[in-house]
Amino acid sequence: VHRACVRGLLWLGLATAACGLPRDPEGTLDRLHATGLLRAGAVPNPPWVIVRGGAVSGPEAAIVEAFAARHGAAVTWVVGAEERLVERLEERELDLVVGGFTQRNPSLSRASASRPLYESSPGKRHVVLVAPGENGFLLALDRAVLAARDELGRLPGAATP
Amino acid sequence: MRTAPPFDLPEEQRRALARARRLAWLTIAYLTTVVVAMYLVLGSSQAMKTAWIEDLLSFIPPIAFLVSARVARRRPDHRFPFGYQRATTIAYLCGALALLVMGAVLLGDAALKLAEREHPSIGSVELAGRAVWLGWLMIPTLAWSGIPVVLLGHAKLRLAEVLHDKVLHADAKMNKADWLTAAAAVAGVVGIAFGLWWADAVAAGAISFEIGRDGVRHLRAAVGDLMDRTPTTTDYSREDPLPARLEAFLLEQPWIAAAAVRVREEGHMLFADAVVVPRDERDLVERIDRTASAALRIDWRLHDLVLMPVRRLPGEAIPGREPPARVVPPQPAAAH
Repeated sequence: VHRACVRGLLWLGLATAACGLPRDPEGTLDRLHATGLLRAGAVPNPPWVIVRGGAVSGPEAAIVEAFAARHGAAVTWVVGAEERLVERLEERELDLVVGGFTQRNPSLSRASASRPLYESSPGKRHVVLVAPGENGFLLALDRAVLAARDELGRLPGAATP
Repeated sequence: MRTAPPFDLPEEQRRALARARRLAWLTIAYLTTVVVAMYLVLGSSQAMKTAWIEDLLSFIPPIAFLVSARVARRRPDHRFPFGYQRATTIAYLCGALALLVMGAVLLGDAALKLAEREHPSIGSVELAGRAVWLGWLMIPTLAWSGIPVVLLGHAKLRLAEVLHDKVLHADAKMNKADWLTAAAAVAGVVGIAFGLWWADAVAAGAISFEIGRDGVRHLRAAVGDLMDRTPTTTDYSREDPLPARLEAFLLEQPWIAAAAVRVREEGHMLFADAVVVPRDERDLVERIDRTASAALRIDWRLHDLVLMPVRRLPGEAIPGREPPARVVPPQPAAAH
């Protein structure tokens, strides 16, 4: 019965994904597909997010790039301080922000969070911040996170949760 | 003072009480599964949170019923010479207040979320290595919280009538209405799925409004009970016919010329005061004794009767004074 339930829910998930549910109230995912641009914020926080010159790298930047690639989009990076970038997330000038945020980050009350990427130390699960309420976009990102997790697990100092 | 053989319920009521107790335990067990399941899929949906708190509040009536079924049946003692029946009503009053306050707080919450245009985020969970949107898990959970409970409510409603238990009746009514809560929350979640951020707060508002309304309804009922309002039927829709029957019974006695009856309700028991004007004063004590014993057999709920012989009915003694407020208010059936 338990397995049948899980399977049923998976089918329900797949069926609704086909209809594009859940949808975003502000249409973030549609805009991503239409413009081919992912507006990402990066808060420098080595070794998770490294900003050198104009280039953003590190494991959390890599997952954002992978997510954009899955949707045939390019990433435009905005580098700044956490406070400012979360504010722009709330105003929906950004789609997501990375910066070594853990699930305990207080900014989570103003934005929503992806599934954990990895655990940097016990209890410290890193997440990507996403504009609040964009549930379709969040689900798409979660799928990319889950797909990329095996790779993330091989990064130095990172263990999959 | 005449007291019916204390607190020994008739066979039918005793069986109903045993069933009602089992149902109360079943309700508590079921609600526990609901509350845990709901907590696991709560997300940041206000409608889910509101429905969850309503489920938490649903614990109050069955617990109040079980506690009062123990306490209220204690025999009157030196400290509480009128017995412990009122314990039930006090439990009921507290439950009603909790509903009212929570309803108001949650309604405020929902209104605030709407005013601030807060977009609820619902993330995903991992099932068998895949990300599944939490909203899809909320819907079967809400169905579990809303469908079996209606059957429980139906079963309890019948028992509440037999036992004349108002707490049980209120609990049954709430259970029967629970599917509405679940349906509203499902509408909120489906709204979110379609990208309507406000659907969540609107559903939450509707649910909390219902919680508050339940609170007001039960509060009025409980306060009325504590103020010794004329006894009513379990659903408070009509006056209880018993006081009129008691008065009629007294007037049928050949030795009684006039009678006035005043009845109050404590829990499911009725306590009556009656004044009678005797036609024939011979063997008065014997007559009072026999009539009072017979009167207590009219109905199992009539628990205590004080029968007092008087020269005139109260209020008639002083010329020019207003006639007494009718002790037994007119019955709807008697209206022309």
